[in-house]
Amino acid sequence: MSRVPYHELKARERLAAIVDPGSFAEILPPPARVMSPYLPKLGIPVAFDDGLAIGRATIDGKPIYLAAQTGQFVGGSVGEVHSAKLVGLLKAAARDRLPCVLLIESGGVRLHEGSSGEIGIAEAIRAVFACRAAGAPVIAVIGSDIGAYGGMGILSACCDFRVMTEHGRLGISGPIVIEKWMGKAAYDSADRALVWKTSGGKTRYLLGDANALVNDDTAAVRAGIARLLGPASPVTLAAIEARQAELAARLEQFAAVTSPEAIWQARGVTDPAAATLDDAETFVASLAPAAP
Amino acid sequence: METFQHSFPSRPLAWPADRSWALAGVVGSGNLEVLIEPNPAAPDAVAYDLQTSIPGYADSWKAALADFAAHYAVGGTRITLHDQGAAPVVITMRLRQALDLLTPAQP
Repeated sequence: MSRVPYHELKARERLAAIVDPGSFAEILPPPARVMSPYLPKLGIPVAFDDGLAIGRATIDGKPIYLAAQTGQFVGGSVGEVHSAKLVGLLKAAARDRLPCVLLIESGGVRLHEGSSGEIGIAEAIRAVFACRAAGAPVIAVIGSDIGAYGGMGILSACCDFRVMTEHGRLGISGPIVIEKWMGKAAYDSADRALVWKTSGGKTRYLLGDANALVNDDTAAVRAGIARLLGPASPVTLAAIEARQAELAARLEQFAAVTSPEAIWQARGVTDPAAATLDDAETFVASLAPAAP
Repeated sequence: METFQHSFPSRPLAWPADRSWALAGVVGSGNLEVLIEPNPAAPDAVAYDLQTSIPGYADSWKAALADFAAHYAVGGTRITLHDQGAAPVVITMRLRQALDLLTPAQP
C-alpha cells in the first residue's frame, strides 16, 4: 500500500484515513453552522466548524470518539465554540467510557476571543482528567508542522498518551515567543533544525514525552493509536510523584547541556547527524537496547 | 468584512447529489471554504451566501459567481463561501471541487 503523508492531509481527511473505512460519523458537521460569534466583529471570516471536526468512529471495530483541528484556520486556535465542541466530545467519552483520540494542530488559545478561549482550554483539560478518572484513555496525535503549543501543548501533556511523527512539535511557548524573551543568540526561531531538535517528535520521544513515534504515514499513525487503545494511564498520587521525579532527574541531567545533540546522545543516539535523517521506524529501532 | 447574498439562474444539477452536503477548502490566508447543499425548492437557481475578509470586490465576486452558475449545472443548490483573500482561480477551483464532491457520479 502506498504511503499517505499524514501531515499533508486536512482534518477530515486525517479522520477518515485513520479509522475503519466509512465509520466516521461527524457531530455538528459544517451544515450545522455552529460558528464563532466573535470573529466577524474583528473582520475575520468564520469557518463552518470553527476549526474542529468531532465525531464517532471505530478502529479495528472498537468504538471511539475523535476530533481533528484545522491548523490553517486561525492557527488551529481554540475559541469558545471550538472548545465547547472539544469539551462536549470529551464528556461523551467519559460518560460512555470510550477512548478519545485528538488529532492536534494548534497554537493554543484563540486570543482574539479573550477570556472565553482561556476558560475553554481550562474546561477541556478538566474534561481530559474526567475521562482519565473514568478509565477512558485520551490519546493526543501530533503529526503536523504547526504542532501543539500553548494551551493545546498543556492539554496534550495532560492526555494519557501522545503519538507523534517527526513532523510534529510539542511545547508550551512557541519558538518565536522564546526568541522574543530570551534573544536570538539563545534561541533562533528561524533555525528549523534547532526548533525540531528541541521540540520535535524525535526529541519528545527520546525524552519520554511521546509514547509512540511513528512514520508520517496514515497507516503508521493508525497503528500507533491502535496500540494505545487499551487501558487508560491511571491518575494516582504515586503516578504523579513518579512523573515529577522523572522530570526532576531530567532537569538535573540536562541543566548544563547547551546543545540538543548532547541530549540525543545521552538518550542513546550514537550519531545524531545520521539519526536526523532516519525515518521514525528506523530511529526507534536504532534505540532499541536503551529505549526510554 | 463584506457579505453578499445573491441567486443566479443555473441549469438543474446534472447528476443527483448523493449526500446532503460537501465542503471544499479551508478558511486560511489566500484560501476559502465552500459548502454546497442541495436546495430542491429552487431547481433552476443557485443561491450564494458569501462572507469575505477583503472588502471592495463585490463586482468581481458577482461576475465570478454568475460565471460559475452559467457554466456549470448547479441549479437546486445553496452555496456558502467563507473567503480569506482567495485568488479568482482558487475560487473557481473550490466551487468545482465542492460540486464534484456533492455529485460523485459525475464522469
